[in-house]
Amino acid sequence: MTTPHSPLPLVFDSIPIARNASVPFSLEVPERRTVAVLGDEDSGIGMLGGYALGLERPATGHALVFGTEVAGLAEPERLAFRRRVGYLPAGDGLLQNLSLRDNVALPLRFGSGAAPRDIEGRVTVMLTALRLTGAAQLRPAQANEEERRRAALARAIAFDPALLILEQPFDGLTARVASELLEIARGGESAEGARRTIFITGQEIPPLILRRVDQVYRLTRAGMLELETV
Amino acid sequence: MARFGFGALRAATRLTAAGRAVSLRVAVSQVRFTGLNAVGLVALLSGILSFLVISQATRELKGIGATEFIGTLIVVAIVRELGPLLTALVVVGRSGTAIAAELATNQVMGEVRALESMGIDPKQYLVLPRFIGSLVSVFALLVVFDLVAIMAGFAAARFNGLAGPRYFQIVLASLSNRDVWLTVFKALAFGSIVGVVPSYFGLTVRRASTEIPIAASRAVVAAIVGIFLCSALFVVLA
Repeated sequence: MTTPHSPLPLVFDSIPIARNASVPFSLEVPERRTVAVLGDEDSGIGMLGGYALGLERPATGHALVFGTEVAGLAEPERLAFRRRVGYLPAGDGLLQNLSLRDNVALPLRFGSGAAPRDIEGRVTVMLTALRLTGAAQLRPAQANEEERRRAALARAIAFDPALLILEQPFDGLTARVASELLEIARGGESAEGARRTIFITGQEIPPLILRRVDQVYRLTRAGMLELETV
Repeated sequence: MARFGFGALRAATRLTAAGRAVSLRVAVSQVRFTGLNAVGLVALLSGILSFLVISQATRELKGIGATEFIGTLIVVAIVRELGPLLTALVVVGRSGTAIAAELATNQVMGEVRALESMGIDPKQYLVLPRFIGSLVSVFALLVVFDLVAIMAGFAAARFNGLAGPRYFQIVLASLSNRDVWLTVFKALAFGSIVGVVPSYFGLTVRRASTEIPIAASRAVVAAIVGIFLCSALFVVLA
């Protein structure tokens, strides 16, 4: 389903996400903004990324990405559409039988149609940008948490997406590393804001990061969304 | 399940050149594990089975002067029926459980979800290479099984006083084009079952690691039942 009147990168419209929530979840994420929604583990925020990408379908309501309900697309179109969105799932979601380098290259190999040499060149650039060159040949189980998160972020931005969805991206990282990763995720700055729209979900965000987030919302147990003052 | 298998084949048509190379690499490693590493076991089983059957048969048939039936026995019982069946069962036991457990682990670890979120069809990356790998492996192992069976039969026949040239003459006279084609079709059918059924059960797991052994067990049972039913269907149709 495509809604031409909804050009926003990400819209959640009346989605019930928590069992005991009194109101459904609704939120609009403006273009080039970094928006974070924080909440307890049982608040249901962990499902938002899946709803946005059409990995799960909400019982009612809609999740629209660039005006499109991804879950409503046919399978090949749904897979192709997801390449427009970067996604860093909770727990990184790296493939354990591949090296970090192959993990980063995988979406490009299957989805870009580019020549293998071009793909390898782009992967090398991304690994360098994420400071992963030394750990590139390690398997996820051999790498530390910071390296795994860097690799997962590199994979999420492989297609240089306009929208990036990050689930618990900074858990277990120092504030300095978290800040560095957020800057890479934003993809640089312009007069209108960051080059990418970023949607972050998690339980907490380091105070150093909060300064770089445009809007921070906290989801209460009752499902109410409260805007926090940054 | 059939739709799942055809979905994997259809996914192959959407592969990019680089994606094809990755899938091929995974398929080759699957052939190494499923096929190459099972050659010894299949050869051993085939050799022992054939030696025992032909030894017993030679002794009995010689007594009534009907040694030419050894050829029928080798071709019908071993090459056409038991060969494909035992080969498929060995591959299901060794690799079917491994495929189901591996894909179930991928599912539990969130790797399948991660693939989908990146716009990669899990059927392209996970199912298709295992399907192709199983197909190639079962076919190759079946050739090994039949060759070893015929050679072990030869050894058994010699051991029981039947001349070597006479043995090959009897076997070749009993072997028809139809037997060869039946074996090829069985290899393709059983290879498909070995590739698709465990993949299907592996990917039906949701989030709990306790589901992994259950999926592996169900996959093997379903694949064995499928292979026997398919074998019966071949007997009825052929």
